[in-house]
Amino acid sequence: MARFQYLILMGLCVLITLPLEFVFDARVWRRPRRLAVALAPAFVVFVLWDLWATSTGTWGFNPEYTVGVTLPGGTAIEELVFFIVIPVCTLLTLESVRNVLSGRVRRPGARVR
Amino acid sequence: MPPVYPTLSIVVALGVVVLELLVIRSGIFRQPAYWLTMLVVYGFMIPVDGWLTKLSAPIVVYRDSDTSGLRPVWDILAEEYLYAFALLTLVILAWDHAGRAEHRRDDSRARP
Repeated sequence: MARFQYLILMGLCVLITLPLEFVFDARVWRRPRRLAVALAPAFVVFVLWDLWATSTGTWGFNPEYTVGVTLPGGTAIEELVFFIVIPVCTLLTLESVRNVLSGRVRRPGARVR
Repeated sequence: MPPVYPTLSIVVALGVVVLELLVIRSGIFRQPAYWLTMLVVYGFMIPVDGWLTKLSAPIVVYRDSDTSGLRPVWDILAEEYLYAFALLTLVILAWDHAGRAEHRRDDSRARP
């Protein structure tokens, strides 16, 4: 189980932020095309950075806590998951904050439009 | 030579700020919702990044000579906050940019 630590952490991030989609009507998961466009530039930049940093040895991944599937240079595939999950969590937070500040969502469950 | 990780983090974070101020000009840095979001996300960054980089059982391991060596909160490297700022601000800029593009498409359909 220890080898799944990184993936489990990412799964928890998805689960914990999922209610924002509905309680605060964030509409991030429900706009998949816009979401893909939003994630793409950062994904490219930060994965390239990751590949470079791992191959030069600036950082590496503990084989005890990763599943062991790596990209060329040694980047753990969990990193690809990270660059999708963490941005999604952030966008869910952003849209929830906007909906609350604008008064579109007054309190959990009570939608105003 | 300064250590590579903090140096690159500063360069990339500045790059994102320049991208917004000179190219995209969305005004994101004037929106309270942006700063409130960053505050919340930094709060959650402590347990998540802390778990990834804690020195007692790290998932991600850094070569010390490539880092600032500053780990003020739960072993999280200081440059990771800049890294997070760059990553997440870039995502937010692209999300809003894609949203504006969708609105323009919808508007042009509504008013032929």
